[in-house]
Amino acid sequence: MKRIISLVLAIAMLTSIACILSSCNNDKDKEQIVIRVLENDFAKKNGYLQVLLDAFNEKYKDYNVIAVDADMDEYSDLENDGPYGYGPDVLYQANDVLMKYVDGHHIYPIDIEALECYDQIPQNAWDAYKAEADGKTVYCGVPVNVQQPLLYYRKDMLPANWETEWNKNNNDVPDMVEFWNEMYRYSAQIRQNDKSKFGFALQLNNEYFNSGFLFSYGGYVFGKNNTDDTDIGLSNGNAKLGAKVIWDLAGIMDEKCADDSFTNARTTMLANGTIFATICTPDITTNFLKDLALEYQNQGLSEAEANAKAKENLVIASLPMLPAAGDITANVDVTDSSLWTRQKTMGGINGYGISSYSEHKDWALKFVEFATSAEMVQKRAEMLGIVPARGDVIENIDNPATEITYNNLDDGTLVVMPSISAVKQIWIPISSGFKQIATDGCTDRKYTLNDLQAILETIDDNIYKAIHTFSE
Amino acid sequence: MKNKIKKLATFFRESGKETYASMAFMGVGQILNGQFGKGMLYMLTEIAFMLYFGFTGITDIIGFFTLGTNKADAWAGIVGDNSVIMLLRGIFAWIALAGLIWMYISNIKDAHFYAEEKHNNKMLPSLKNDISSILDKNFYKAALFLPLLGVAVFNILPIIFMILIAFTNYGGKIVPPELVDWTFDSFKKLVVLGELSQSFVKILGWNLLWAFASTLFNYFAGLGLALLYNKKCVKGKAIWRAFPILAYAIPGFITLLAFKYMFSNGGPINNIIVDNGGQIIDFLGINSKWMARGIGFFINAWLSVPSIMLLATGVLSNINNDLYEAADIDGASSFLQFRKITLPFVIFSTTPVLISQFIGNFNNFGVFFFLRSDVLSDGYFLASDTDLLINWLYRMSIDNNYYAIGAAISLVIFAITSIVSLSVYVRSAAYKKEDTFR
Repeated sequence: MKRIISLVLAIAMLTSIACILSSCNNDKDKEQIVIRVLENDFAKKNGYLQVLLDAFNEKYKDYNVIAVDADMDEYSDLENDGPYGYGPDVLYQANDVLMKYVDGHHIYPIDIEALECYDQIPQNAWDAYKAEADGKTVYCGVPVNVQQPLLYYRKDMLPANWETEWNKNNNDVPDMVEFWNEMYRYSAQIRQNDKSKFGFALQLNNEYFNSGFLFSYGGYVFGKNNTDDTDIGLSNGNAKLGAKVIWDLAGIMDEKCADDSFTNARTTMLANGTIFATICTPDITTNFLKDLALEYQNQGLSEAEANAKAKENLVIASLPMLPAAGDITANVDVTDSSLWTRQKTMGGINGYGISSYSEHKDWALKFVEFATSAEMVQKRAEMLGIVPARGDVIENIDNPATEITYNNLDDGTLVVMPSISAVKQIWIPISSGFKQIATDGCTDRKYTLNDLQAILETIDDNIYKAIHTFSE
Repeated sequence: MKNKIKKLATFFRESGKETYASMAFMGVGQILNGQFGKGMLYMLTEIAFMLYFGFTGITDIIGFFTLGTNKADAWAGIVGDNSVIMLLRGIFAWIALAGLIWMYISNIKDAHFYAEEKHNNKMLPSLKNDISSILDKNFYKAALFLPLLGVAVFNILPIIFMILIAFTNYGGKIVPPELVDWTFDSFKKLVVLGELSQSFVKILGWNLLWAFASTLFNYFAGLGLALLYNKKCVKGKAIWRAFPILAYAIPGFITLLAFKYMFSNGGPINNIIVDNGGQIIDFLGINSKWMARGIGFFINAWLSVPSIMLLATGVLSNINNDLYEAADIDGASSFLQFRKITLPFVIFSTTPVLISQFIGNFNNFGVFFFLRSDVLSDGYFLASDTDLLINWLYRMSIDNNYYAIGAAISLVIFAITSIVSLSVYVRSAAYKKEDTFR
């Protein structure tokens, strides 16, 4: 009897083990590959991410793979999450954010030449994702869109006589949006007539929008093409002239330029006519248009008329030219091109990268390829108003910012944010230094060029200290 | 010391085979005593500990010292060592070892005690009796076990981790997959680096001033409000009390953001000033050191006074009115009554709260983080002139990834707050005369 019971028990045990093992194997067979995608909040909010995920999942529906929203904070840190298995498989970030992960090998190198989009994206954009690692050149991201500050102004706020009085070089472009000196003069006029209004207005302690003034006169962030963090050069060359431009611009504004007041209210202020022009990135264009259309509707226009009028009157242009001598308060001949220099701006390249900790890098790469295809990039540009990095998509986009930005990237006027991890430590020192310049510029106006140079040197010093004091 | 050695020698001399058996293997002595259930539990515990130490514990303790020898490389597929995880696991292994030692000693004492009881022909408790005792007479042990475990894992472990981080070079470019090492450099740099130590002294001075001034002001303002609302002549007390409670009920960071907006250069306060013909005041600007400090002080009071007011209202309702009547008959003035009756009573009851307010204010991160985190001031090492130590610590450890130096600063903060609060507390009436008002 005992033997029979033992035999039955043994058979039952073996059967259970066999069932468990087979169910494990079945589970493994059925296990779906999940690609977690970290996108920016703007793309999520405007529905683009869902469109992208749906399109990818539809295309690969027969492959037991699904792409999902990683559902993480857009600024979550791969360095902290990735090694423990919490990070996304695919990340969409600006080049400075994505490339800070290269040192720790958290972001995976991509064979970019094998990608369909390779030939369509200019080398300057690819360079934003280039890194030297272990003596080799690697690329750790695929560019999707180009970000650059551009000039936004109201055509209907131009003086009625601009074609005769503000078109000295007869190119039918208002001088005030073509030359900083003329913008300064026009803004001063507006301020003189009505103290509650501004011509040009901008948050002057914004490091991203204003660093370009320094770059235009020889300043740079890091040496050796933004790769050497021991060489901080914001005070390099005649960068103090760029600082003086910021200081002079503060003179045609008020204390609001020294904090985020103008940034918070820029779309409303431009819409209600408090400001004539400002600088912004193309992703905010829809907000400008919306507020301006609303303003026109309040003035009695129908929704369709208001939208059309807003589209007509909101002009996006390249940043004005700077005087080669660096004094925007001087009267400089706008017909003599030798007296002017193109303004450089700091820009960024947003793109996709693949986490080194992804268990399905092949599928992550397939997702990146899909998301950077012409069709999806065009959709992204249409839905989010971004400037695509793909040349073939540019031709199909009806957005004035597109051509300007693309050309600036091509000719080097757009200085791409450094792609090394130390870039994280540059922002607060720059912002604080600019705040100091702007504060004096709009109040006491006591600074001399030497003072401005000293402030730039302090910025350099603070950045160096932030990066190196405890690293050595 | 000599006595202790003598005591130990006597213990060993007088121990029987049960004690030695338990020394050799936990639980054997208990089994020899006839306490099988308990003995088995002790044995299982030792086996569990041995398995833990065999599989990972010893490696974790070695890792605690080395903090890793094999660098990870995600590109090459090398998993490698993660120094931070190794440190955490090492701390856990040390705690487990301490637990094992404690269990081992308790096992020997238990075997020894019950062996003697057995020799004296006393009835030994069974496992069932022990369990009943834990659920009845010694219920506090059962009730406190889980909370204690929680405190060990969620409080003690992170605190030890943070303290130990201060003695490493973790931070900057030394973050995983780079391997971290033990070093005293953070403390050295805090003292030796000229600019750093100067900033530290300046920030510490301001931090102490801020903590003392705001604690005292908030405390007396809250008490004052409570006294005011307690006055018989005040009509509609409930409505008046509702205002500070409303301010208290709104989440602090929303209040801080609202105040930042109100005091910004384009905010409503400046708009009112400009509309009335004045000039914009740069309340929180780069040159507004004392104005920004003052605004921070005011905002902190806005956030803290209501809680003190509520507390004081409760405390005041407990004061015996006879005391005031007697004082009136004796001809004491209102101020004298306040000084001799109200204040001692309120201070007695609220000293621990006062201390927690001081610590809270000393470590008040939110106010200046929201108001002025975009400013670096001249003469300060990557800090603004309104930063408290906790803000500086944040800038170091979060903005610049210098975790070790951040941990070193937090140790200094911990030392200061604990010294001040402990010395105030042990000198306070609340501690010395605990039974006075019972």
